[in-house]
Amino acid sequence: MTGPAVDVHDVSKWFATHQALEGVSLDVAPGECVVILGPSGCGKTTLLRLIAGLDVPDAGEIWLNGVQVASPGLSLLAPHRRGIGFVFQDLALWPHLTVHQGLQFVLDSLRVSRSEQDGRIQEALTLLRINGFAGRYPHELSGGEQQRVALARALVGHPRLLLLDEPLASLDADLRSAMRSELARLRRELPMTTLYVTHDREDAAVLADRVIEMSAGRISSVNESRRRETRS
Amino acid sequence: MWRWASSRTIVVATAAGLFAACCLLPIAYLLTAPLRVGIAGSILSLDARQQGLLWNTTILGVGTALLATTIGAPLGLALARVSLRGKALLRVALAVPVLLPPYIVALAWTYLGGSRGLIASVLGHDLLSAWTYSLPAAIVVLSLVFYPLSMLATEVTMRRIDGRLEEAAVLVAPAGVVLRRITFPLAAPGILAAALVIFVLSVSEFGVPGLLRVRVYTTEVFTAFAALYDFTRAIVLALPLVLLCLLVSVLAVALVGDRLATGQRVSGAPPLLLDAWRQPAEGAAIGAVAIASGIPVIVLVGEALGAQSLGAVFQGSGRAIVNSLLLATIGATAVVSVAAWLGYARARASARAGRVVDALFIVVFAVPSTIVGVGLIGLWNRPGVVGAVYGTDAMFILGYLARFVPVAALAIAAATRHVPKSHEEAASVSGAGWLRTMTHIVLPQIRLGLVTAWVIAFVLAFGELGVSLLIAPPGEATLPIRIYTIIANTPPSNVAALALLQASVILIPVALLAGAVAVREAR
Repeated sequence: MTGPAVDVHDVSKWFATHQALEGVSLDVAPGECVVILGPSGCGKTTLLRLIAGLDVPDAGEIWLNGVQVASPGLSLLAPHRRGIGFVFQDLALWPHLTVHQGLQFVLDSLRVSRSEQDGRIQEALTLLRINGFAGRYPHELSGGEQQRVALARALVGHPRLLLLDEPLASLDADLRSAMRSELARLRRELPMTTLYVTHDREDAAVLADRVIEMSAGRISSVNESRRRETRS
Repeated sequence: MWRWASSRTIVVATAAGLFAACCLLPIAYLLTAPLRVGIAGSILSLDARQQGLLWNTTILGVGTALLATTIGAPLGLALARVSLRGKALLRVALAVPVLLPPYIVALAWTYLGGSRGLIASVLGHDLLSAWTYSLPAAIVVLSLVFYPLSMLATEVTMRRIDGRLEEAAVLVAPAGVVLRRITFPLAAPGILAAALVIFVLSVSEFGVPGLLRVRVYTTEVFTAFAALYDFTRAIVLALPLVLLCLLVSVLAVALVGDRLATGQRVSGAPPLLLDAWRQPAEGAAIGAVAIASGIPVIVLVGEALGAQSLGAVFQGSGRAIVNSLLLATIGATAVVSVAAWLGYARARASARAGRVVDALFIVVFAVPSTIVGVGLIGLWNRPGVVGAVYGTDAMFILGYLARFVPVAALAIAAATRHVPKSHEEAASVSGAGWLRTMTHIVLPQIRLGLVTAWVIAFVLAFGELGVSLLIAPPGEATLPIRIYTIIANTPPSNVAALALLQASVILIPVALLAGAVAVREAR
């Protein structure tokens, strides 16, 4: 039997005197999409950052695909070796690189051969339906197009784990609905392990296999979503 | 909303008028002088002597910009991206050289490397004196003085980079690649702009090349005017330098522009990419402090201890010391009184107008001091009411206003931008007029910025040499003039004692200000 893709064990995190996470445990099966719901400041983004290796836990352990990547106060595996695709809430698109250069930077860093790069970039652009924007800079794109570019950047490296931190938060209602459908389509086409942080229950209803609710740094409830029940 | 008759319009227009009269008019006078004295055709035809000057000046500027950036940019990177111990204190210690008048640092280096200097006396023979008075030495001294500008610009630029941009890269690439491909390209315009500013300040500098006997434009302008009384030649020499400074300053402002604007707010602290380099970075920072500040101060102290009576030295220069303190205090107050309103107007200007004003401020600040001095003399040395001012200490204040209003206005503008416009609007809808809003809402919130601007203006005025040497009334002297003029015929110990006194007067208010900032940050 295959182990969990993500195993967070009794993790706590403090920022000065504020405890952001308190004894959080969570596991995610390979291919599963878990949506973490909760109000602002409940610790859901912190949890994602710990898994990505952008912060280290003060207590507890984090395992990815059977490899321990973090222990108390220590990062045991650098972020770029964890095989993670991350979509930030503010997208964090590099302003001095075009869409193509941004994707190429990821593939260069992952030491993907030049001959393979073009195919991978085309694949990502096609998947996100942004083929026409390869030569553009982020500021030359609309909000929805930037969102797709951020997703393409997260996916082009073929990560084993996709982390999404409120990726739709900055969009207006119409665009948000369109992008949510787009994400659902991607989920069907690329059934990869995904952790999706949001405060919007609509996102959870459309995308989640399982919904975890957080409050004040703790997991308050875990629900199998209607999507998974319907599927099974 | 702006209204022509509003108190805001009147106050800001008055400040702008004073800026035009004090800062722009001397430069405009100089730029239009060739037309008046009929030498417009000969301005751009450089004779062999001028070509040599241009070569020396360019090498001085380029060499200093490169060396200062080579020292300063890595230190700025370390301050921004490495969790150094005692970072706030280290930053202040590293910034000290830029606060000292450059000729004081040059003086210390002549005592170190000169034919009767410390190194010669330790080794028993003269090893460095030929090198001490040379163009490369001037480049090294100016680099040690100006590297903090590159350091601070690099740190500020790197802090403005959205931490998420680097985090997104850290997920796929190691720290070295992230720095090379993401961080440095984003920071490059800021670092380059700082290098250009250092270039301008170096070619504008008068004291260091004067002391180290390097022939450059600024020293020749001074000689043409002060020694040969040849106003026409001074203008001929000044104009290519003014044009060069204006061109490079505009380029620097254009570089900073909007290139870094991403349309998104800066969020999140950047990842500490170079934490493994903490110890080497701390070692390099301490080494820089020791070389740039420690050695000059120790050399000056060692030299000053040889003075027969420090009391007699200070008494002999008592009038110059009191003059300097008084004039710098009045000058800094006058500078901030004008700059406060200009800084406010800059902070509330539209983006496009703001860029134009920034360019104007930097261009005016970049004009070399000896050239401002020549412009002021040309403007004020005439019969009538205007001439009554010439020959009095008021000329010093006019000189300080001409040189330092722009830099104080930029500092105050930066502080004012932190006050949300909604604070003023809230006061306005509550029934307060603009002046009341300023005095009760805005100025109290920027008081630290005002104090900072005053200290900057005081430090610059107290160390001012280029303008002062030219416009000083007969029999009047400030401490920098006194030091500069007695170097040749007074025991080095006496000169070193005065230089140390000057350094102390500059560093004490800076230390107090740094303390106030540290307390504020700790809250």
